[in-house]
Amino acid sequence: MSWTVKPSRTQKIESRTEPYLTEEAKAKYEKDLIPRYPERRGALLPILHDLQHHERCVSHQAMVEVAQFLQITPGEVLDTVSFYEEFHVEPVGRHVVAVCQSVACEACGHAAVLDHLKDKLGIDEHETTPDGKITLLALECLGACEKAPCMLRNDELVGPLTPDQAARLVDELE
Amino acid sequence: MFLDEPVLTKNIPGCGPLQSTWGRAEDRTVTTGKTYRDRGGYAALEKCIGMESSAIIDEVKNAILRGRGGAGFPAGMKWSFLPPEDGQPRYLAINCDEAEPGTFKDRLLVDFDPHLVLEGIAIACWACKLDHAYFFIRGEYPSQAITMQRAIDEAYEMGVFGGNGLLGKCDFKVDCTLHRGAGAYICGEETGLLEAIEGRRGWPRLKPPFPAVKGLFGRPTIVNNVETLAAVVPIMEKGAPWWQGIGVESSIGGPPSYGTKLMGVSGHVEKPGVYEAPLGVSLKCLVEDYCGGMRGGKGFKAAIAGGASMGILSTDQYEAEMDFDIGRKYDLMGLGTACPTVFDEDTDMVAVARNLSRFFKNESCGQCTPCREGAQWMFKLLSRIEAGEADSNDLDMLLELAGSMGIMPGTTICGLADGHNWAVRTVVNKFRGEFESRVRPAKTALQGVALTSSASGS
Ligand SMILES: Cc1cc2nc3c(=O)[nH]c(=O)nc-3n(C[C@H](O)[C@H](O)[C@H](O)COP(=O)(O)O)c2cc1C
Ligand code: SF4
Ligand code: FES
Repeated sequence: MSWTVKPSRTQKIESRTEPYLTEEAKAKYEKDLIPRYPERRGALLPILHDLQHHERCVSHQAMVEVAQFLQITPGEVLDTVSFYEEFHVEPVGRHVVAVCQSVACEACGHAAVLDHLKDKLGIDEHETTPDGKITLLALECLGACEKAPCMLRNDELVGPLTPDQAARLVDELE
Repeated sequence: MFLDEPVLTKNIPGCGPLQSTWGRAEDRTVTTGKTYRDRGGYAALEKCIGMESSAIIDEVKNAILRGRGGAGFPAGMKWSFLPPEDGQPRYLAINCDEAEPGTFKDRLLVDFDPHLVLEGIAIACWACKLDHAYFFIRGEYPSQAITMQRAIDEAYEMGVFGGNGLLGKCDFKVDCTLHRGAGAYICGEETGLLEAIEGRRGWPRLKPPFPAVKGLFGRPTIVNNVETLAAVVPIMEKGAPWWQGIGVESSIGGPPSYGTKLMGVSGHVEKPGVYEAPLGVSLKCLVEDYCGGMRGGKGFKAAIAGGASMGILSTDQYEAEMDFDIGRKYDLMGLGTACPTVFDEDTDMVAVARNLSRFFKNESCGQCTPCREGAQWMFKLLSRIEAGEADSNDLDMLLELAGSMGIMPGTTICGLADGHNWAVRTVVNKFRGEFESRVRPAKTALQGVALTSSASGS
């Protein structure tokens, strides 16, 4: 639900002295990304991906820095960040496990897989284990329907899964 | 119906019917740039560089290559909508969003034969004089993004892109950039995709202006699906008449369905996967001869024809031909991506409708009120019906809502709402008994809910 607004009143806006966009990173973006687009803003999604990958979130401070770098307003960056499911304002776990809940996977038994993982990890979907290790997601079609029921384990599409196999694959994560 | 030999999957084993000699899926590996070239790859591009742009566009037009991304719009015709060159940049946006539930065919090409796609991209850019190709790939394909980036790098090294012009054989220089999405189905809609490349939320734009006139960064842009571009390569290699020899004519006087199609079959079949078949193959043949039949020998009950948006085929439509006539012949929105999800006799169709509705509710971008609010209500009503807490008025309300949202009723910006509409409406209409047996009769009849005059239509 990309358009649903999350409560912001209670949200802590963290800040740190060390910048998210290091000079080194900026030089790299300037060289590799900016020339690929006719407007600086085109580099926004790739930069957000980079931040999400390294920091496991795109924090408000990072959004301000990105805005300065791309010469757009922080509001515009927030507008984009808040739309896309893969960008998180709060850090996700070190590993992200996303079970597909769309039609082919449901027909092939995704519920048993998801429930088993919830039980084993002691968390609900869209939550992170208290040790910050694993975030469990239930997402829509992952584009791997021949593997139904399937999940995306970090960068890897895996399936078809039995509940036990899914649990084992999650256990293997360091 | 079978192909004599693989066309789009000639470098990808295991995409044929069960008894064919097309190799085993277990033997698939990515075709590197070098292997691709050694097998005669990029020859079609070379041939095209020796041709006039208009001749290439005419060939694709004559082949009547209809878009493989869902809408079935003829590619050659789309290309000819571009305004004349004005010296400023023009773009190609490649649609590898592939987020339609049940669809996973483009992934096969990216995983195992990325250079076929890149060759198609280079030909399209040359024919339409497009300077920069943006390969938009969904966020949920991280390893595919890596494979594609590697192939793009190889193509640069081989001189296909950048450098001194295409293959170093002409002045025209093309760039190709991979651009990753971040988890939003709506970015598959062609103008939502453009917004996402520009770094904005993927909100579809009102059309016109169409992308060919005013697209990426305000410039003329062609948006094509991955498979459409891949198909350009064999067409330019072997010619339009050869392409027209595969597939079928329309049986109802409509435009023809020529060529081969990647069909990803999922759900309750023995061997789900992507198969290459001629357009016009029946669903039954696809299930029985390609996929080894229904899983566990169960009976066929229904199938989503080609991606969730298109609607459902009922039990007596098992022999439906998978071609572009399918919409008009079997009361569906269309062929879509030609990737059926098959359900066996034990499937609860109310649960199927509820699942589809949840998808569209989650993925609505929220710009248009009928889609945003209608989606929420449809999902709630279906959940209520599934739980046995609804009465017959709720069922009427559901159909009323479904029938009133979309481009076709004229109430939304993009086709996502039509997809929701067709997905739910066809399941309810074709399996009405299952829904009725789950609802109580209403105490008083529902009054005054006619939101639009066309709402009671099929
Ligand atoms: C909600 C929605 C989602 C879509 N998703 C995709 C998609 O994931 N991939 C795709 O190729 N086309 C998708 N399309 C169709 C595109 O808008 C467009 O028609 C297509 O990319 C054009 O390419 P083609 O003519 O080569 O098929 C979608 C359309 C809508 C309305
Ligand atoms: S129809 Fe739905 S998805 Fe499409 S633009 Fe409107 S709100 Fe967004
Ligand atoms: S429905 Fe689960 S991957 Fe497509």
